[in-house]
Amino acid sequence: MNRRPLALIASPLLAILMLGVVPLVLVLVWSFWTWDPATYWIKPDLSLAGYSAILDAGRWTVIVSTLLKAAGTAALCVVLAFPIAYAVHFLSGPRLQTLLLALITIPFFTSYLIRAFSWRLVLGRTGIVNTTLQQLGLTQAPLDWLLFSNFAVVVGLVASYLPFAVFPLVLAFRRVSPDLMAAAQDLGAGFWRAVLTILVPLTMSGIFAGFLFVFVMVAGSSTEVQMLGGAGASIVSVMINDVMRVANYPLAFAISTVVLAVIFALVLIGNAAFGLASLFGEEER
Amino acid sequence: MAIAIDIQSVSRSYGPIKALDGIDLSIKAGEFFTLLGSSGCGKSTLLKLIGGFDRPSEGCILLDGRDVIDVPANQRPVNTVFQSLALFPHMTVAENVGYGLKLRGLSGASLKAKVEDALDLVELPGFGPRTIGMMSGGQRQRVALARALVMEPGILLLDEPLTGLDERLRQQMRDEFGRLHRRTGATFILVTHNQDEALSLSDRMAIMHKGRIEQLGVPAQFFEHPANSFVARFVGIDTLLKPERIEMRDNGPHAIVGGQSLRLRAPVATLGADSLVAVRPDRLRISESIDTADLVLTVVATTFRGLQTDVRLTFADGQSLVAVVSSDSPAATMKPGTQVPLSLLPDAAMLLSGSGMPPAA
Repeated sequence: MNRRPLALIASPLLAILMLGVVPLVLVLVWSFWTWDPATYWIKPDLSLAGYSAILDAGRWTVIVSTLLKAAGTAALCVVLAFPIAYAVHFLSGPRLQTLLLALITIPFFTSYLIRAFSWRLVLGRTGIVNTTLQQLGLTQAPLDWLLFSNFAVVVGLVASYLPFAVFPLVLAFRRVSPDLMAAAQDLGAGFWRAVLTILVPLTMSGIFAGFLFVFVMVAGSSTEVQMLGGAGASIVSVMINDVMRVANYPLAFAISTVVLAVIFALVLIGNAAFGLASLFGEEER
Repeated sequence: MAIAIDIQSVSRSYGPIKALDGIDLSIKAGEFFTLLGSSGCGKSTLLKLIGGFDRPSEGCILLDGRDVIDVPANQRPVNTVFQSLALFPHMTVAENVGYGLKLRGLSGASLKAKVEDALDLVELPGFGPRTIGMMSGGQRQRVALARALVMEPGILLLDEPLTGLDERLRQQMRDEFGRLHRRTGATFILVTHNQDEALSLSDRMAIMHKGRIEQLGVPAQFFEHPANSFVARFVGIDTLLKPERIEMRDNGPHAIVGGQSLRLRAPVATLGADSLVAVRPDRLRISESIDTADLVLTVVATTFRGLQTDVRLTFADGQSLVAVVSSDSPAATMKPGTQVPLSLLPDAAMLLSGSGMPPAA
């Protein structure tokens, strides 16, 4: 038997196990343990205290609002990424394509903190948007809902995570020959009809992958909410941080487990429905 | 109903490149018309303009007398079989064929019946529920044909539809095109670089080169009267000789090549600097004796081609021509250096203008 393939796969497999699976299993197991006030640590007594604590103090509403925020942002990102991917794939030559993709990558060059903060300068009371609106005479006073609001949070999140939706979509578009769109139009379809009946179904795996990437990133984000959200704004990662501060580890792990379960469910459903794996397959003929 | 096409001084430029340069072309309703040319000659661009996938830079395109420049592809009475076939991979065969009908508002039993009729027409009955991935190359070809023909187009555009099929399938699909043309009566426009396809199918054809039409007519004309040496070479008249001079004799014009004279088809055009003498290989015979021969040439090489053998023969000045002989004949095994007497059948040699000639290969 040839042992080389085994040797080649061993190190990445080990990395995935150590860096991915083991921490997840620990989180899952520890979420069922009991917090020990004597040691300020956890002990292996089976307990659902962590899970029941989620229901206290409106913690579950933070989870729900986080998931809604993640779903909304992800949907918005996909809607914005679709025309971007269309432009990159169908309307650009090879050089423009590279340029556009490079431009889309630029948000990654700066830190999340700087990016979120810069939105304050844009959306604040004396920010660019408000001053422009007032100068044009469209508004009399600065719009207060622009900053420290869910609106600001979503703007910040979309700006940060849009590339995560663009790249899987561009990848999915690569597998769609322009001839297919031409054929649809040849058979009588208008542009939008061709998009809905040909392009969307053929790029479904990319649409879902993009949605999922953004969803996961938002579910784990905190900077944008802290910098741009209002006083009461919260998100799961901020809540986990607060809970950890008072050393209630089982609760923190329980919250994490719930969010993980939701994301895993999403991945499994998506894979069954849209075949995520096909995103990396051959071009369709 | 079949639709007539009028293309009037159409040009299409991409930046400094002229893909089409002043094309004038009328295609009659119900005609099988072929655009023949090598890649980059502009034939596919012209097809795109007729299909509505591109706009001409100048000129207009009339379908049955109506200018359609501003009519988008989805509203033209034209359907296309794409070179890539462009079958929708996420749909079954029946869904592919029914796609256009559905957009026209057909549904239920009438949709199903039409789709089945179309699949019968291309001899794929019962293949409706299959996915595209389950179909072979030739079957996909038929699905693409059915998808276009089910729309009952006035004009069917075929963009190099046989590329990528093996020789047997090409033959089969070629016959299929002819049959479907007779059945549907639509105007068929075929784009190809394969002269066999063009010759066997077309009512008329055009040879294109560098965005222009070099010659237009019924297929036989291209052999009887090639417009220039480019056309001659394209249709397989490979022997093109540079004459020293033209002599007018009692029995007609003669070209002098390598010190020997070839009787030319009369009347001859005036001799230009780039004029060439084309010799049809099917009108060359190896004759019995030197005395009655029109030419005496020297064998350079013989190439076995199965039933036939090509014999390459050279003039005193080094120019050569190819005679095709039966592989059974003694001529097929002649040694290089042998002197061979040749006779020319009437109209074997013609004087052609060299315009449009690509640089000699």
